[in-house]
Amino acid sequence: MKRRDFLAAASTLAANSLLLPIEVDGFSLKALGKNSALVKALKHTTAAFNDRILVIVYLNGGNDGLNTVIPRDQYGTYQALRSNIAIPEEEILPLAGNDVTGFHPAMSGLRNLYNEGKLSIIHSVSYPNPSQSHFRSTDILMTAVDADQTETTGWAGRYLEDRFQGYPADFPNEVMEDPLAIQIGYLTSPTLLGTQQSMGIAISDPNSFYQLVSPEFSASTNELPCCDAGDLIAHIRKQQILSIGYAGEIKQAADLGTNMAAYPPGTDNNSLAEQLKIVARLIHGGLKTKIYFVSLSGFDTHAGQVTNSNSTEGEHAVLLGKLSAAISSFQQDIQLQGIEDKVVGMTFSDFGRRATSNASKGTDHGVAAPMFVFGSSIKKQVVGHNPDLTNGLLPVAPLPWENYRDIAMQIDFRRVYADILNDWFGTETTKTDTFLFNNFNTLTLFSDHIETIASGYWTDPTIWTAGRPPLSTEYVRINPGHTVQVLQSVTVRNVHMQGNLQFAGNAGIHLTG
Amino acid sequence: MPYLSTYTEPLTTAQASHLLRRATFGPTPNEITQFTGLTATQAVQQLIANQSFVTNPPPPVELDSSQPLAGQPFLDKPFNSDRNFWFGTYIKFWWAGQMARQDVPVSLLDKLALFWQNHFVTTRTVVDDYRYLDRYLRLIRAQALGNFRTFVVEITKDPAMLRYLNGHDNEKDSPNENYARELQELFTVGNKDFAGNDTYTEEDVKAAARVLTGWKYTNYWQQGSTSFTSIFRSDKHDSDNKQFSSYYGNAVLTGRSGSTAGDDELNDLVDMLLAHPETPKFICRKLYRWYVNAAVTQEIEDQVIIPLANFFKSPGNNFAIMPVVEKLLTSQIFFQESNRGSLIKSPAELMLGSLRFFEQPIPDPTTDYQAFRKLMDFLHWNSTDMQMECLDQPTVFGYDAYFQTGYTKNWMNTTTIALRSQFTDALIWRWFEVKPGYKLGVDVLARVTALQPNFADVPGTPAITCETVVANFVKDLFATELFPSQIEFLTDTIMMMGYSRVTWQFEWNAYRSNPSSTDRQNTILWRTRSLMRYLLRMAEYHVF
Repeated sequence: MKRRDFLAAASTLAANSLLLPIEVDGFSLKALGKNSALVKALKHTTAAFNDRILVIVYLNGGNDGLNTVIPRDQYGTYQALRSNIAIPEEEILPLAGNDVTGFHPAMSGLRNLYNEGKLSIIHSVSYPNPSQSHFRSTDILMTAVDADQTETTGWAGRYLEDRFQGYPADFPNEVMEDPLAIQIGYLTSPTLLGTQQSMGIAISDPNSFYQLVSPEFSASTNELPCCDAGDLIAHIRKQQILSIGYAGEIKQAADLGTNMAAYPPGTDNNSLAEQLKIVARLIHGGLKTKIYFVSLSGFDTHAGQVTNSNSTEGEHAVLLGKLSAAISSFQQDIQLQGIEDKVVGMTFSDFGRRATSNASKGTDHGVAAPMFVFGSSIKKQVVGHNPDLTNGLLPVAPLPWENYRDIAMQIDFRRVYADILNDWFGTETTKTDTFLFNNFNTLTLFSDHIETIASGYWTDPTIWTAGRPPLSTEYVRINPGHTVQVLQSVTVRNVHMQGNLQFAGNAGIHLTG
Repeated sequence: MPYLSTYTEPLTTAQASHLLRRATFGPTPNEITQFTGLTATQAVQQLIANQSFVTNPPPPVELDSSQPLAGQPFLDKPFNSDRNFWFGTYIKFWWAGQMARQDVPVSLLDKLALFWQNHFVTTRTVVDDYRYLDRYLRLIRAQALGNFRTFVVEITKDPAMLRYLNGHDNEKDSPNENYARELQELFTVGNKDFAGNDTYTEEDVKAAARVLTGWKYTNYWQQGSTSFTSIFRSDKHDSDNKQFSSYYGNAVLTGRSGSTAGDDELNDLVDMLLAHPETPKFICRKLYRWYVNAAVTQEIEDQVIIPLANFFKSPGNNFAIMPVVEKLLTSQIFFQESNRGSLIKSPAELMLGSLRFFEQPIPDPTTDYQAFRKLMDFLHWNSTDMQMECLDQPTVFGYDAYFQTGYTKNWMNTTTIALRSQFTDALIWRWFEVKPGYKLGVDVLARVTALQPNFADVPGTPAITCETVVANFVKDLFATELFPSQIEFLTDTIMMMGYSRVTWQFEWNAYRSNPSSTDRQNTILWRTRSLMRYLLRMAEYHVF
């Protein structure tokens, strides 16, 4: 009996649980459990992970997600929620192979990346008990804590501090001769904070940076006065030493590296593009820095996010246009440089904005919003699904005077961090769990399969790692202890069966192999 | 333990310097002398009383000599959109000039005004209309030592604030919550209490937004308009009752209608915000972090913040600001030695403080406006690069160094430290010409010459030693004491560069006997500039 026939036959055993044979073939290594000995062994052959780089793009102010990634399948509801700022239906950029979702018309660059399979939309990202304070919410996202906890170190800082123990005292050394992390610009983000200091250094421009620091300066003594003054003086001396210690390496990388793609012209004032241009040059020049942090400000669009005459123009369109042009230029650059497979990037913002607009053609602080992860290594174009604008908004049961609606969370932001730490940087999961103070389910962002994280109906998005049911092109694993009920026939690439499937009526699973 | 009780001993030089560094943008040597020996109370009262010299300075003028109004005030003229950006910039320069001036007795006004401007943030970039910016800045300076209740009421209605946090857009049928949120989170109660608990709810934000509906500004960016103000539009006001949460004792603010509804409800709202137990603590904690130390331990919270907050809100004081500032600046905790050097200088404190300490005169902003502009340009762009753009904070939270983890450590990263060194180096190399005959920086040669008795009498009067030069250069320069090993290093390695110390006396006497010899002068400059340059690059110079 052919496998497909077997499945079809099996499905006729209505309402009976059936254990599929495990030895279904066609699995790539990535689909194996993280804790399998083979995977662990491979992870520790550091070569596979050593030269991987993360670029974090911070959108300062709280991006309006609903005008960024637009649910085309609910256009009427979308339009009714925000009639004074809604993007006209015909202006929404469609996505290849995705009829339900579209992009803001200013985002053609990101649309192209999506169509090429190099951009992942992570829908409705937030965390439980969301804060709508810029400061607090950004702090939660950067330090990766629960909403009722505080922490002085950043999530990436904790990772770097563990991976490069002894920083900064024992650095630069032969294992790592370059800065662990670099922020382009001046902002010192809590994301990179370790227990004692930032694990990153800030530079504005590699050339002027080298000119600014005077390599001949050294501190006169290691002695420190008491108390806070001593702590501050130690901090300043450390910054002096770091700036001198790394200036030469950064300058060398900047000199060796070349930008190969065209970036937006200077007249566009696209500061994000300028920052990413430096990042691409430094990576290409051989700098081994693990994490780059860049940012774009202005997303706190309480008023005038669109112009009076045209909802596809205005402050928000300009910002999204900059974001899109900057990232697509960067991606093209590293592709031409031949280092595309070494870099992934992610965006995040303070929070999402209200689904309902205000009368000033703006949006007030809200809850969930999409994140983007970009790079040639991502394997999921979509994680989660469009927010349900009819039944999925907050408050769930609005009182008569509650005339606003927020977008509820689907994906906890820490799941994105967990995949980056585990699957991109190759961190042991137990360590990742300590960096994130908890174990978070994978989104299988970097693998071509999808797993169950709970029992339930096949169509229930919450039982799947990717926050949505599997696509016909995806490998599926039913994890041990999980029972999935299939009410209607589905098509997937293949199934790795470790739990149970239950079929109703004539429902079955078609495998495309 | 001594905390808020008054420090009563006469101030030593180090203590007087500490007070002046914290309460102003940094002392001149003369001011240190004047304040040494006063009691803390006398000194602080002096700093308060001296505000009378700067409360009403001449207005800013057009600083572009190619403009018809050059040297003339512009705020009394109709709105001129062509000059909007520059007039806004000149207002920034005008304020920086007030901070740095040395022609009147030193006061604490503008340092405190900067605290409030960084508290009730609005920015030139967002507010944009220069007249709004001027009115806002005058409000900040006028209320800095006034009453906090009045301050909150007035800032809420201020046209610049209505612009910056969208109060203007907040109407009955379409509330805009931006101001209502920041009013609670940043201006009064604070987002969390000391233990990290919430202090208000999202519903409180919405309710406060409804209270504040109807306020508008007028004539924004109106070319040729001669006046502007804030007004209340009762037809845009939500006149229903507003229910607040248990954090505010479940208060219900009565909805009003008619022309006085806006003021009446605003007053009720501010009364309610000030009655919140966290408000006085939040403000006092922030003042403590500004003036004393960013680290607020449980002990400090219990022994300093809470008693100070109780005093702030007590019926006898009723939210007057001046007595609170006086109490804090005269307290034992303020003068505790461990609180010296416990903050990193902001770019303003570094640059304006250096100008004041090295007695670099500020050209008269009206009569010598071209030189004034040139100097202020230099300071402004340097400060901006160092992450402190005057009247242009990056966000409504203010500068990172006053709220972000690490507090004033945020002023120092690998880039800003290099920029700060570039600035202090400029004071040594003196390449920046403010105007003919005035190059910014330290005349080290004159300083050393002044140390030498009977300069011309080489045979009869022994040369000053290099130890004397080092001791003079470090005098009153740092907030903390240097270690003997540092003094040795500065003398032998930095000044003498490995030569024996006695070499200095030969070189100095050679110069004394022929001061016009360039070679001999250069030897002296080489050593003394090396020393001063190094001192200003030391980490110790950047804490205060």
